[in-house]
Amino acid sequence: MTDTAFEAAGLGKRFGRRGGWALRDCALRLPAGRVCALVGPNGAGKSTLLALAAGLLAPTEGRVTVLGTAPAAARARVGYVAQDKPLHPQLTIADTLRMGAGLNPGHWDADTAERVVAAGDLDPKAKVRSLSGGQRTRVALALALGKRPGLLLLDEPMADLDPLARHDLMGTLMAQAAQYGTTIVMSSHVVAELEDSCDHLLLLGGGRVRLAGEIDDLLAAHARVAVPAGTDLAPHTVVESRTTGRQLTALLRPASPLPSDWRATTPSLEELVLSHLRNPDALALTPAHEEAAA
Amino acid sequence: MTTAVLRLHRTALLVWTAFVAALLLWQVWLTTAGADETRRLAARCRGMLDYCDAFSYGEQMAWPGILLSHTCLAVAAYAGGALIGRELESGTAHLAWTQGVTPARWLAAKLAVPAVAVTLGGTALMLAFRAGWAANRDLMWDDWWTSYVFVDRGPALVAYGLCALAVGTLLALLLRRTLAALGAGLAVMLLLTVTLDRFRSELWPTVTRRSARAFDPPEGAWQLDGGHRGGRYVLTYHPESHFWALHLMETGVLLAVAALATVAAFLLLRRRTG
Repeated sequence: MTDTAFEAAGLGKRFGRRGGWALRDCALRLPAGRVCALVGPNGAGKSTLLALAAGLLAPTEGRVTVLGTAPAAARARVGYVAQDKPLHPQLTIADTLRMGAGLNPGHWDADTAERVVAAGDLDPKAKVRSLSGGQRTRVALALALGKRPGLLLLDEPMADLDPLARHDLMGTLMAQAAQYGTTIVMSSHVVAELEDSCDHLLLLGGGRVRLAGEIDDLLAAHARVAVPAGTDLAPHTVVESRTTGRQLTALLRPASPLPSDWRATTPSLEELVLSHLRNPDALALTPAHEEAAA
Repeated sequence: MTTAVLRLHRTALLVWTAFVAALLLWQVWLTTAGADETRRLAARCRGMLDYCDAFSYGEQMAWPGILLSHTCLAVAAYAGGALIGRELESGTAHLAWTQGVTPARWLAAKLAVPAVAVTLGGTALMLAFRAGWAANRDLMWDDWWTSYVFVDRGPALVAYGLCALAVGTLLALLLRRTLAALGAGLAVMLLLTVTLDRFRSELWPTVTRRSARAFDPPEGAWQLDGGHRGGRYVLTYHPESHFWALHLMETGVLLAVAALATVAAFLLLRRRTG
């Protein structure tokens, strides 16, 4: 077991020979045991990145490593739930779980899988085609958790869940992460959904990594300031700035301690994400850039 | 994975079993009770209408035969649509690939289970057709080279099924959509069937006989060309003894196409999933 759960370098994926790049120059490193929020607008490349990590797509260029090996070799140890939660409609829930047991010989945790299903008050004899979207999500998660993965990749896992089920399943996921040290990467375009449970952030925009790192470090590296209009913000990196009347508000990445007369506050995660998405030209902050700067 | 494939395609397997059983029973009934009935009727109407019911027996025997020789079209549609296309379109293929099964093993199991079913069912139907076709030759009017008779009387019948399975699978992997793969599988197999039917006689050298006097082709010959040229009578034909050579050549062509399509399917899957 390595201490890096998910790593990519120069990773790019293009669909079709003349298609656009869904993902380009993607470099990231996710330490094992983290719960990582993969955030970005629609079409940012979130699903592509997860499918590359799950070994469902081959990269066009670059390299991706999960759990210390190529995605194709790590299949048995990686759980993946796709955005539309594909399941076989003609099978019952019990059959679906039995299929999971059959396809994961030697490392199937029937208790966990059955517990996740039972918590949703689902009848194991019900056919998958009779389930609602949220119930399907629960079965898909049960199937992914049942194989007791070292890395769990979830593409918009909470989208069709009601708040109660969301809370309950998030709790199950966090318990799994805490108990087995499972690394979890979950994507969403709703930042608030992930803020409480995740400790790592990966922000994609336009097929590139815009921000990557521990959420606490990222927040600490930025400041929201309100200063008189016309103030020179150099040498700090300006992510976003806006002048309203005589006041200039800006989200900065301070290069040095800020002057004490600037009113500086720590931004919220949502502010940080939105500022970066609104300003695609702002310098990205990723471990790769830090290494280059050092 | 094989157990999973069996569970997923239980309905298809039941339908196939029912189809094979129904076709077997139909032929057994026709060749026994049906033939007896025809003879009784023929005896009664002898002298009034020649072949009054013998004709009907031949026609009735043709239906299961024609159905049998076109079963590969259904196999192609099934392979393209339900077996592979639907799984790629709905994403359930990804489900298997992220459940610790490599895409190659998944495809191998997906192909192996129906291949066994096609081979077993096809062999049983082929043997039944051979027996039924030989049983009441005096009541039948078809020949060994009639399209469906030619296909149904040997391993080419199974080869058509396996070829359809491989072609449907390859098309589904290329198109990744259920309906498109179903249609394309059907169209390609129809084209292949028609093409082989058209060029069947060229798969083995023909016999040409020339004579100064007019003559009849030998009993059971598949006459391809004939006429009076340069003062001589010419006949080009396949004698009945060519059946196995022609039939095995066609089987070989089909198995070669099946093998190529299978290899292409595995290569395509590997390139796509890394």
